[in-house]
Amino acid sequence: MMFGSADTLVQLAIKTRDPYIAAAVHELATGIAKLELEALICGTRRTALAIARWEHTPASVLTALAGIHDDAIELRLDKNPGTSSGVLSNLYEDASKKGKSGLTKLIAQHLNSGTEVLKRIALHSNDVECLLALSKNTSANSKVLAALSERVSGSDIAVAIHKNIAQNISASAELLARIFDKSDVYTQTAILGHEHCPASLIAKSAASEEVLMMRVLARNRRVSKESLQRYADCDDAGVRAGVASNALTPVAIFRHLLRDKSELVRREVASRIDLSEEHIEALSSDADPWVRQRIARNPTTSLDVLYKLAVDEVADVRRAVARNTMSAVHLLNMLAEDKHAWVRSGVAYQANASQRILIKLADDKDVDVLSGVANNPNTPQTILKGLVRSTEADVRRGVILNKSATRNTLLPLLEDPYYLHRMLLVQNPHLQAQDKWSLRDDPDSQVRFSVYRWAANICLKMPDTFLVTK
Amino acid sequence: MKILVAVKQTAALEEDFEIRDDGLDVDEDFMMYDLNEWDDFSLEEAMKIKESSDTDVEVVVVSVGPDRVDESLRKCLAKGADRAIRVWDDAAEGSDAIVIGRILTEVIKKEAPDMVFAGVQSSDQAYASTGISVASYLNWPHAAVVADLQYKPGDNKAVIRRELEGGMLQEVEINCPAVLTIQLGINKPRYASLRGIKQAATKPIEEVSLAEIGLSANDVGVGKSMSRVRRMYIPEKGRATMIEGTISEQAAKIIQIINEFKGA
Repeated sequence: MMFGSADTLVQLAIKTRDPYIAAAVHELATGIAKLELEALICGTRRTALAIARWEHTPASVLTALAGIHDDAIELRLDKNPGTSSGVLSNLYEDASKKGKSGLTKLIAQHLNSGTEVLKRIALHSNDVECLLALSKNTSANSKVLAALSERVSGSDIAVAIHKNIAQNISASAELLARIFDKSDVYTQTAILGHEHCPASLIAKSAASEEVLMMRVLARNRRVSKESLQRYADCDDAGVRAGVASNALTPVAIFRHLLRDKSELVRREVASRIDLSEEHIEALSSDADPWVRQRIARNPTTSLDVLYKLAVDEVADVRRAVARNTMSAVHLLNMLAEDKHAWVRSGVAYQANASQRILIKLADDKDVDVLSGVANNPNTPQTILKGLVRSTEADVRRGVILNKSATRNTLLPLLEDPYYLHRMLLVQNPHLQAQDKWSLRDDPDSQVRFSVYRWAANICLKMPDTFLVTK
Repeated sequence: MKILVAVKQTAALEEDFEIRDDGLDVDEDFMMYDLNEWDDFSLEEAMKIKESSDTDVEVVVVSVGPDRVDESLRKCLAKGADRAIRVWDDAAEGSDAIVIGRILTEVIKKEAPDMVFAGVQSSDQAYASTGISVASYLNWPHAAVVADLQYKPGDNKAVIRRELEGGMLQEVEINCPAVLTIQLGINKPRYASLRGIKQAATKPIEEVSLAEIGLSANDVGVGKSMSRVRRMYIPEKGRATMIEGTISEQAAKIIQIINEFKGA
């Protein structure tokens, strides 16, 4: 059996009369073959609608569907994340002519919409919803956002538009600075939290007594030590938690937060990777289990403390020890005997778990534990081969996702009842081309699509490759 | 021993859909068909009895509907049902749940099963009356919203647990044969194996006409139904309000709303 060159693959796809297979290879086809594939894809309105809506549909197929000029299909194309910039541009022209603001809004928020279209919406649309959608679109560059800001300046919707721009990652420092002074405290806070916020605004706002601003600035790595010291003494727990989470907060400041009255602050301290042994020891006895859990997960926590937390009364703390990348084999061996399956499952997923531990856990009855064993690259193939026969889909999926699972282990899963598992196998690097190709007649249309798409991608990447399988 | 499972192919709607020109239903182009979710659980319950029994148990699935329904019946065959029967006549278009119950009843009389399972309701129409109307036509005991079943082939009684309001369960002993409408969550429906799907593709689906079960076009359809759809429409949108603003502003508004509800 073989599919050979791109042309052969396209001819095979046409023979199947399957619209999903046709969609998978559409990008490869030219001339009459392309038309034949499109006839299959658009064979019925019902099929065309389903394919126009489907998130996996290749961009070339969406472009072909745009030629049908059916309002319901155009709506789906406007919503489909795979629709190309060119198609969206044409759809914009059409929507503008017909005065369909609902469709224009979808184009205004689409991440593939081109700068030119977005700029035209910014300058010419009179629909508030369209302009609001555009102000949230991260594909709109700073020039488009600036044009929009200038156009709405002084109008009723300026405040709402500027709130969105203040949170839009594409907004430039210059635009943010321009908006800042004429905005309320919420928008100013959003600007202070923006990656492109000018240093001058941060410096200017550092002395502010506004709690919202202080919460954001306390987490900012660009604030001065003096400001961090002031925030660390603030009455608001959110501000102090910000200081505790700031990687640049010096020890001299955060050590006072170790015994903060708010557990929110102590939890943030417990996640720091620059804690001393003394700090870790103190936090490991904290009354709040989430603080202890974060210490148990912290890679800088010493083995002595991890042993202490491994017998904590709260299962989530013990599980955090089991998940800690620094946990030793002996400690994991102990936790593998834990009465709580959630803890044993933490061991089963642990990269440091030895084959001995995993073999023992493979006898567990709990699905979470067995899923962990199935996922773990240290699990011996003999165990994985047994787990392939599990009645639990989660366990079988664990084997499929296991980076060490060999071809022989995976082969029986080509017959897995769950279609998603078969789709995952099409992407698996350990299976050979002939294994994947054997799924081409799968009962599920999505699996068939995946197989042909995989084959089409090979042809697209290596046009001269002649793939043969038997 | 025979268990008959009444199943339906239901329609799910896409996010964006259009109402038909006659205003009585959604345009078929926007419908995605699949086996009714409740019926998946009914079939699984029948399969559990079949697989745990020492004696032979035949599981027969029956549906009323056009050709497209074969796809759902094949799904049942792939999961292990022994036979599939589909009853249809164009005159049956527009039949309400009671008329569908009547059609199923005539099939049941012919098949003479020991138990009949149906889903509590269908996910598209949700009348929740097909199973109960079958029990009424047969004059058999029935129980609705069955969340647990203890029954062995040959038993003249079954013990069931019915799901009631407020998380309550009602344990009931019921004489057999009976009609049970099965609730979601009673079991964990299986996926059909690939081998099952391939075998099901070659199994015949018994197509039964109205005449073969002693009915005529005059017994079915809109004219014989006790309820008729007058129109289908999308109601005006409610008073939901999007909370706009920056993230901290949205959080502040949510806190304000919660405090107002709490009377703070």
